[in-house]
Amino acid sequence: MATEPALEGALQGPAAWEEEADREHVHGVGPWRLGLRRLRRNKLAIAFGVLFILLVLACLAAPLWADKVAHTTATENHLSDTIVIDGKKTNVVGLDGVPIGPTYKGEFFLGADPNGRDIMVRLLYGGRNSLMIGVAAALMTTILSVILGVIAGYFRGWSDGVIRAVLDILWSFPVVILGVALGVALALGGIKLGPITISGDSVLVPTFVIGLVYIPYMARPVRGQVLSLREKEFVEAARAQGAGPLRIMFTEVVPNLISTLLVFFTLLIANAVLLEASLSFLGAGVQPPNPSWGTMIDEGVDRIATAPHLTIVPGVMLVLTVLALNVFGDGVRDALDPRAKVRLEH
Amino acid sequence: MARFIVRRLLQMVMVMFAVSVLTFLIFNVIPNSDPAVRMAGRQASQSTIQAIRKEWGFDDSLPQQYITTMKKIFSGDLVSQFTQLPVNEEIIKGLPRTLSLAIGAALLWMFVAICFGLYSAVKAGRFADRFLTIIALIGISMPVFWIGALMNHYLGFKLGLFPNGGYVELTKDPIDWAYHLILPWTALAILFIGFYSRVLRSNVLDTVNEDYVRTARAKGLGERQIMIRHVLRNSMIPIVTLWGLDFGAVIGGGAILTETVFDLQGVGQYAAEAVGQLDVPPVLATTLFAAFFIVLLNAVVDIVYAVLDPRIRLQ
Amino acid sequence: MGKLGRRALVLLVAALSMLVVAACGGDDDDSGGGGGGGGGKSGGSITMSQTSQPDHLDPALMYTVNAIEPSWLVYTPLIAYPRKEGQAGAELIPGLAQDLPKISKDGKTYELTLRKGLKYSDGSPVKASDFEHSIKRVLNLESGGSAFFLGIEGAQDYIDAGKCDADISGIETDDKTGKITIKLAEPDGSFTHVLSMWFAAPVPGDTPCKELTKDPPPGVGPYKFTESVPNRQFVMEKNENFPDLGPDIPPGKVDKITTKIIKSAQRQAQDVISGELDYMQDPPPADLKPEVKAKYSDRYEEHTTASTYYMFMNTRLPPFDDPKVREAVNWGLDKPALARIFAGELAPGCSFLPPGMPGYDEALDVEDCPWGNPNEPPDLEKARQMIKDAGVDGTEVTVYGNNDDPTDKVTEAYADQLNKMGFKATPKIVDGGVYFQTIGSAKTKAQTGFLNWFQDFPHPKNFFFLVDGKSIQPTNSQNPGNVDDPEITKGIAELNLEPELTDEVAAKWGELNKKLVERGYIVPYGHRKLATFLSERMDFDNCSLFHPVWNNDYSSFCLK
Repeated sequence: MATEPALEGALQGPAAWEEEADREHVHGVGPWRLGLRRLRRNKLAIAFGVLFILLVLACLAAPLWADKVAHTTATENHLSDTIVIDGKKTNVVGLDGVPIGPTYKGEFFLGADPNGRDIMVRLLYGGRNSLMIGVAAALMTTILSVILGVIAGYFRGWSDGVIRAVLDILWSFPVVILGVALGVALALGGIKLGPITISGDSVLVPTFVIGLVYIPYMARPVRGQVLSLREKEFVEAARAQGAGPLRIMFTEVVPNLISTLLVFFTLLIANAVLLEASLSFLGAGVQPPNPSWGTMIDEGVDRIATAPHLTIVPGVMLVLTVLALNVFGDGVRDALDPRAKVRLEH
Repeated sequence: MARFIVRRLLQMVMVMFAVSVLTFLIFNVIPNSDPAVRMAGRQASQSTIQAIRKEWGFDDSLPQQYITTMKKIFSGDLVSQFTQLPVNEEIIKGLPRTLSLAIGAALLWMFVAICFGLYSAVKAGRFADRFLTIIALIGISMPVFWIGALMNHYLGFKLGLFPNGGYVELTKDPIDWAYHLILPWTALAILFIGFYSRVLRSNVLDTVNEDYVRTARAKGLGERQIMIRHVLRNSMIPIVTLWGLDFGAVIGGGAILTETVFDLQGVGQYAAEAVGQLDVPPVLATTLFAAFFIVLLNAVVDIVYAVLDPRIRLQ
Repeated sequence: MGKLGRRALVLLVAALSMLVVAACGGDDDDSGGGGGGGGGKSGGSITMSQTSQPDHLDPALMYTVNAIEPSWLVYTPLIAYPRKEGQAGAELIPGLAQDLPKISKDGKTYELTLRKGLKYSDGSPVKASDFEHSIKRVLNLESGGSAFFLGIEGAQDYIDAGKCDADISGIETDDKTGKITIKLAEPDGSFTHVLSMWFAAPVPGDTPCKELTKDPPPGVGPYKFTESVPNRQFVMEKNENFPDLGPDIPPGKVDKITTKIIKSAQRQAQDVISGELDYMQDPPPADLKPEVKAKYSDRYEEHTTASTYYMFMNTRLPPFDDPKVREAVNWGLDKPALARIFAGELAPGCSFLPPGMPGYDEALDVEDCPWGNPNEPPDLEKARQMIKDAGVDGTEVTVYGNNDDPTDKVTEAYADQLNKMGFKATPKIVDGGVYFQTIGSAKTKAQTGFLNWFQDFPHPKNFFFLVDGKSIQPTNSQNPGNVDDPEITKGIAELNLEPELTDEVAAKWGELNKKLVERGYIVPYGHRKLATFLSERMDFDNCSLFHPVWNNDYSSFCLK
C-alpha cells in the first residue's frame, strides 16, 4: 500500500533503497533501520498499530472493568435483577425475554444478553479469549511452519517430499469443515497427548485446530525462501567453513526469514481471529459459557430484531481489531520490502 | 507435458485418499460417544442398539469399516446415521445451490475487484486510491457471517428490499433465483473484493513500469489501449490463478458460513449440520466433495502455470 | 481508463437495480390456490412450516411432535380423542372401533369391534387383522414405541421370532365380525390410552415391515399423505374416502396442506407475518415474539401444554446423593428467572404432573408448593445454608444441557444459579441429537442437567415411568437421575394395575405426585406454553383448535 506519492511509478527493489538512501543523506544504514524509518513515516499504519495495542490493553483490563466498574463477572446471570434507567426501575431482562440495550453507565454499559449477563464484560473477556487464541495459534503455525519449511527447503530429498505431501493434504482439506470437525470431535472428548489431558471445553482446542489449519499457508512460502536462500553466497561460505547444517539453519537461514515471518505473523493473527470467530459461530470453537467474539455474534444473531446490540457490538470489535492488524501488517510489509507480494488466504 | 498432467492427477487421487482416511479417523479415533447409541434415539432398547451395530458394522475393525464406508460412497448407498436418508442424494440436491452461490460470488468479486483495482492503480497515491484501499481492508476484516446476518436482517427483513434468506431454483424462476442470491453473493464477495483489488493494483503498478509499456507509450498508443491490451492482460495472470485457488477454498469454507446465515440448504450447510451431530457419513462425503474441488482447481492452476512456464514441469 | 472502470460500475448497479425492480414488480401471491372455495369455510390450500424433518412419517416409527402433529389426521386409531379444547379433548372416545374396549374383570383382556364398512384413503377396506399387523410393524421395526406393547402376551416371542408375519399370540382378530381381542400378561390401566396412540392405528395388512417415510402407508383420517420429500417438504390432501366417524372426529376443511421444512424459526415467523406461510409449528422465536404479540395478537394465542420441564439430579453421585442437598436445590432454584429465558413461554410450576393430566392439582403449582410459590423469587439464603451445612459447598458440578434454543441458555442460567447456591458449576452443552443418549448413559456420570417431557397420552403412568426405579438402565435410561424410591416405585406398580382411570385412581396418582415433589428427587420448574400463530388469510377466530393431546388440529384450519 503506497502511502507516499513520491513512490508512485518510481523505481522498485534495490534501486529504491539506493534512491531512498540518497534522499535521506544516509548511507550505510542497515535495512532494518531503514525499514523502521519507513514504517514510522507511515502514519496510517502507526495509528492502526496503536489502535490494536489499545484494544489488546482494554481486553487485558477485563478483570478490572468487571470488578470495579460493572461489579459482575462474564458468566453471572442477572435474570431477575432490576436497574434504574432514567429514574425508572427496569428489568435487566424483561418478562418477554428482551434484554436491555446499552445504558452507557458502569453496570451494563453496553447492555445485557438474554441471560442477563453484562455485554461489556463479556466483550472484554471474549476479546481476551479471541486474541489469546489468535496469537497463540499464529505462534504455533509460525513455529511449525518454520521447522517444516526449513527442513524441507534445506535438506530437500525425501524429507522435502514427505513434508510437501503432508502440506498438500492439509491444504486440500476444506478449512472450515476441518476446523469444525476437529473442534466438535475434540470438544466432546478432549485430547490425550500422553500424560497431558486437555478437556473438551478448553481454549486450547480451537487454538490447536486453527494453528494446524494455517500451517500450509505459511510453510510453503517459507520453504520457497529457504530454497533460494540456500544457494546464496553466505551459506556457501558458512558451509566451506565447515559449519554443520543445524548451525547454518540457525545462524544464516532463519535470520533471513525474519522479515517474511514478521509480515506473515501479523496477517496470521488477523486471519486466526477471524477463523476462531467462524468456528465459534458454528459451535466448534470456544464452548459456552465462555465468551468469545464469535460466540457472542452467534448468540446475537438469534435476537437481532429485539436486541441488535448483541450482534453489532462484538462484530464491530472484531472488525476493528482485524482491520487494525491488517493495516499495521500492511505497513510492516511496505516498510520491510515494498516489492513483496506477500499474501495470506482465508 | 502429458507426463506432468498425469503425475498431477495421480497426486490428486493420493491426496483425496489421505483426506478421506484422516476424516474417517478424526471421528472414529478421537474419543466420543458410541455411534450406535447415538443413532438409536431417545427410547431405544438394547436389542435396537445391537441391531444397529450389526447393520452398520460398528463391530468390525476400523480398516474394515473404512473400506465399507468408501464402497458405499462410490456405489451411492451411503446413508446418514441420523435421518437414514441417502447422503449422495442430499449432496446432489445441495450442489446447484452451493455452485450458484460460489460461481455468482466469484464472478461478482472478480468484476468489482478489477474495477476497484484498476481505478486504484490509475489514481495511485491520491485520495481515491487511499479511500478504496481502506474500503478493501475493511472488506478483508469483516467476518462473512456477521455482515451476512446484518444484511439479511436490515436489508432483507426490516427494509424488505430483499427476501430474507432461502433459495429458489434457477429452473423455476431465474429472476427470483438471482433475487434471493444477491445478498449472499455480496456478503461472500466483500471479503475477496478487498484482496483481489489490492493484488491487481500492485500488479498493475508493477507492469506499468515495464519497458514494453513505455515502448508502447512512446509508440503513441492511446492510454486506454495500453491499459487494456498490455497492462491488464499481464496483470491478470496471477489473478486468475489465485482466483482458481480461492474458488476451491470457497466451496470448502466461506460457502458454509454464508449458506448457514441465509439458509440456502446447500452442501456447505448440510456439512455443518452433519458435523454438529457427529453424523459421520455425510461429513465424510461432503469433505471429499469439497476437497475434490480444492484439489481439482489446484491441479488445474498448476497445469496452467506449467503451460505458461516450462520450468515448473521439471520440478 | 478511469472511464472504463466507472462505466462498468454503473452497468453493474443498473443491472442490479433492474433485478430488484423485476423481482418486486412480479409480486405473486404464491401461498396456494388464492382464496379457495370462493371465500367460504371449506376448500383452498395452505402452506405451513416445520423447523426440522419429522423423524419418520411412518406411524410405526414416528415419535416426535413434527411427525405426530400432522399424522394424527392421517392415521386414526381404534380409540381416539374428540376434537375439542381443554379437558374435554382429553376424554377417550371410540375411533375406528365401535365402542370403548370391554375390559375383563381381571383387567387382562380387552375386546373391541371394528366399525363396519371402513375404507383406507386408497379405497381398500379396513380389516380387523390390520390392527394386529400394525402392532407387528411396531415390534418388528424395533420402534421407540415398542415398549408400550411389550405387555401383550406373546409380544416378546414375536420379536424373538424375527419375522414380519409371525403371529402375536395375545392378539386375536376376526375379519368377518370385526372383533379384536387383546390379552395382556398383566393388567395395565393405561392400555386404553396406548390404543389411542398412532402406533396402534391400523394400516393395510400388506404394508411391508420397513421404514416407509418416503412413501407413507394409507390410513383412515381426514387427510392422506400424497407427497414426501424428506428434508424439503411433505403434502397432505383431503381424504375423499374418509368415513363418517361422528361429530367428534370431523373431516378437514382445507383441501391441501403443504408443509415445508425451513430450518430458521425467524424466517418462518417472518413468512407467517407476511402471509407467505399460513402456519408454523413451533412458536415464533423470542426475537419476534414482542412484535407478534403487539401487532398480530388477533391471530396469535398461547396455550399451556401437558408438559413438565425439570432438572434431574443423579442420586447415585455426589453431591446430589444427599437428600438435603437435593432439597436445597429445590429451595434455591429461581423459577421466574428461568421463565424469562423462555420469553414467557414457560408457566413456572412445582408439580411433576402437568396441567390437564388426571391427578394434577393446580394448588401444588402455586401456594401448595413445598419450596415456596414458584412465581416468586426463591429462598436463596436457605439453599445456601443447607448446602453449607451438608458440607458440599465448593463441589464441582457439571451441568448438562443441549444446544437447542433455549435449552443452552437455560442450562447456563441453571449453572449460574447453582454457583449462587455455593457450588462450582460449569455447563456442558451437548448436541441435541445425542443429548438424551448422553445423559441416559451411566458411563457419562452426569450429575445434573436439563430434562423435559411432553405427554404421549393423558395418563399419569406416562410421566411416572420417568421416576420409576424400574426404568433405570445402563444406556438410554429415561431416568438419568436414578430416582429409586421404594415407596414411589411400589405406588407406581400398584396404580399401574388399576384397569381404569377413575377419579379415585386419578386422585391416588395425585397423591403420589405430591409425595414425589416433597421428596425433592427432581426439580420441576414449569410447564411449557406453545402457540397457534396463523397468517392473515386464515380464519383464526372460528378455525383454530388447540388440542390438549395433539397440539394444533389441522382439520380445524380454514381460510377466511
